[in-house]
Amino acid sequence: MGEGDAMSAVAPSLGELRDQVSAFLVAESELMDQHRYDDWLELWSADGIYWVPCNEDDYDPRQHVSIIYDDYGRLQERCFRLNSAGAHSQDPPSRLCRIIGNQQVSPGSAGHVQVRANMILVEVRSGEKNTYGARLEYELQPDGDSFKIRQKKVILLDNDEPLGNLTFLL
Amino acid sequence: MPVAIVEGQDVGYSSLIGEGRVHSAIFTDQSIFEAELERIFYTYWVFLAHESEVPEPGDYCRKSIGRYSIVVARGTDGVVRAFFNRCRHRGTMVCRYEHGNAEFFRCPYHGWTYSNRGPLIGVPFPSRYGVDFEKEKLGLVPIARLDQYRGFYFASLADDGPGLTEHLGRAATYIDMFLQASPTEKVELRAGASKSNFHGNWKFVGMDGYHVNFTHKTVQDLQVRRTGNAESLKSNSDRAPNLTVDLGGGHCRLDLSLTDRVEIGKATSSLIGEIPDTDAGHEYLALMAERWGSEAEAYEKIRGSRDVHLHVWPNLQLIGSEVRVIRPLSSSYTEVFGYPALLGDVPDEINERRLRGYEWFNGVAGFGTPDDREVFERNQLGLQADKEPWMVLSRGLTQAEVQADGVVVGNITDEVTQRSQLGQWAKAMR
Repeated sequence: MGEGDAMSAVAPSLGELRDQVSAFLVAESELMDQHRYDDWLELWSADGIYWVPCNEDDYDPRQHVSIIYDDYGRLQERCFRLNSAGAHSQDPPSRLCRIIGNQQVSPGSAGHVQVRANMILVEVRSGEKNTYGARLEYELQPDGDSFKIRQKKVILLDNDEPLGNLTFLL
Repeated sequence: MPVAIVEGQDVGYSSLIGEGRVHSAIFTDQSIFEAELERIFYTYWVFLAHESEVPEPGDYCRKSIGRYSIVVARGTDGVVRAFFNRCRHRGTMVCRYEHGNAEFFRCPYHGWTYSNRGPLIGVPFPSRYGVDFEKEKLGLVPIARLDQYRGFYFASLADDGPGLTEHLGRAATYIDMFLQASPTEKVELRAGASKSNFHGNWKFVGMDGYHVNFTHKTVQDLQVRRTGNAESLKSNSDRAPNLTVDLGGGHCRLDLSLTDRVEIGKATSSLIGEIPDTDAGHEYLALMAERWGSEAEAYEKIRGSRDVHLHVWPNLQLIGSEVRVIRPLSSSYTEVFGYPALLGDVPDEINERRLRGYEWFNGVAGFGTPDDREVFERNQLGLQADKEPWMVLSRGLTQAEVQADGVVVGNITDEVTQRSQLGQWAKAMR
């Protein structure tokens, strides 16, 4: 094995990285659509931030309200709540199906991977069908042959409109 | 549901509110909703906007009263005014954005232009109007009455009637308390709005101390998980010291303060997070102690503010850190705008924690309000089956204490608050 081969084992080509990210996002989508909260939580880094901005797409969350601004502790609370009996807004749970596409993958600093993608999510619950479109931004940290999520930002198209029930995972 | 005739006298819809009971038509009947718009929302004082939404000359925000779109604008002269958002020519909305700064509003249809004080200042190609065209009478139509209490602007579309002070009555004290968590007694609605909707009647957004252990079981479970004790489970039971209070005029409140304690760095039973044991937390406490005379009084003011749980009838609630505004749009569709109120003149970290605390319970993905919404929607669906139309609102009816000043006080789980709101409803809908 030459030196070049060893290097490529450490740093995958952009093509390989795209494939890995794509597989990761598909797997994450599946966990969210199936309400597998604990398994989804496993994908997160302990310093992760899950952000769904409100009213505007970008701002300083220390000064403006968000739809979701969860650190890891609050993500645990979110999953604890959804797993426990009594979360009426997810009883019965939403039926979910999402497609993630238009992925753009770029290597970031400190070995992190920046991902931008678009999402279409269809939700069916209580006789109603809702469609949500969003732009997604991830910062992923390589972890073995997969990743941990350091930041996930979900920019909903209708983040400045009156919304209903967004208690499922976005 | 027809207007009832009792003993030959027209009592309007008031017969739908009985002693300890209410007829479900007031939540489901669209003709009653239309009457509510006329007799309540287009007559009484309703909350419109907060001064911090239009802080500078030229600032404007777009609001609503019932179905009417309203522009609230601070003129270049610094005066806050409110107008119907409707061009006098063909009726087009002249203000498109929810907030901004503008010296004038120009209609996109034919270019009629109004100053931010209301007058029509420009009509394109005026030569084709006759000599009797009175431009000066065609300014934006102002709201009949606009008044404010400590920065909270209320509007009434009725030319006369009781003034705002009279309307607010005893509710004003709790608006005062809400402000007292700031050392300069200021709140600022500059952190955006959590906008939500539900398929249900606006009156479901009430005041209820009885639902907490059931609707919000997960919130209580999370509080137990966080604090390691079950104290919060005891706040809303028939043996709790907490209270429901009818302040008169449909204004009412929950008093949850009797099980709340404030101490720096200590977890809290309120929905607002604790005061952090950090430099910012100590700085905040020092500012408050300086303003209010002592650390003990500072704690008291903080506790008092975060335990405010007030309904200002008909469309405003102050709850913890939230200014909540109810927008009635049909008998079975309502929008609720929640504004986290930031405190004036406190360290940024205090307001940041307020925001994170707000999001914990509130908003469309919070741990509390989505379950309220779920219940409101199931309520609206359940009420359709009106074979037995009377709902029971008699909890604490005989036990609640009527004080000398007319204030009614009951246990936290009593339906004193609902009877307060619906009693006022009956009066307005007579």
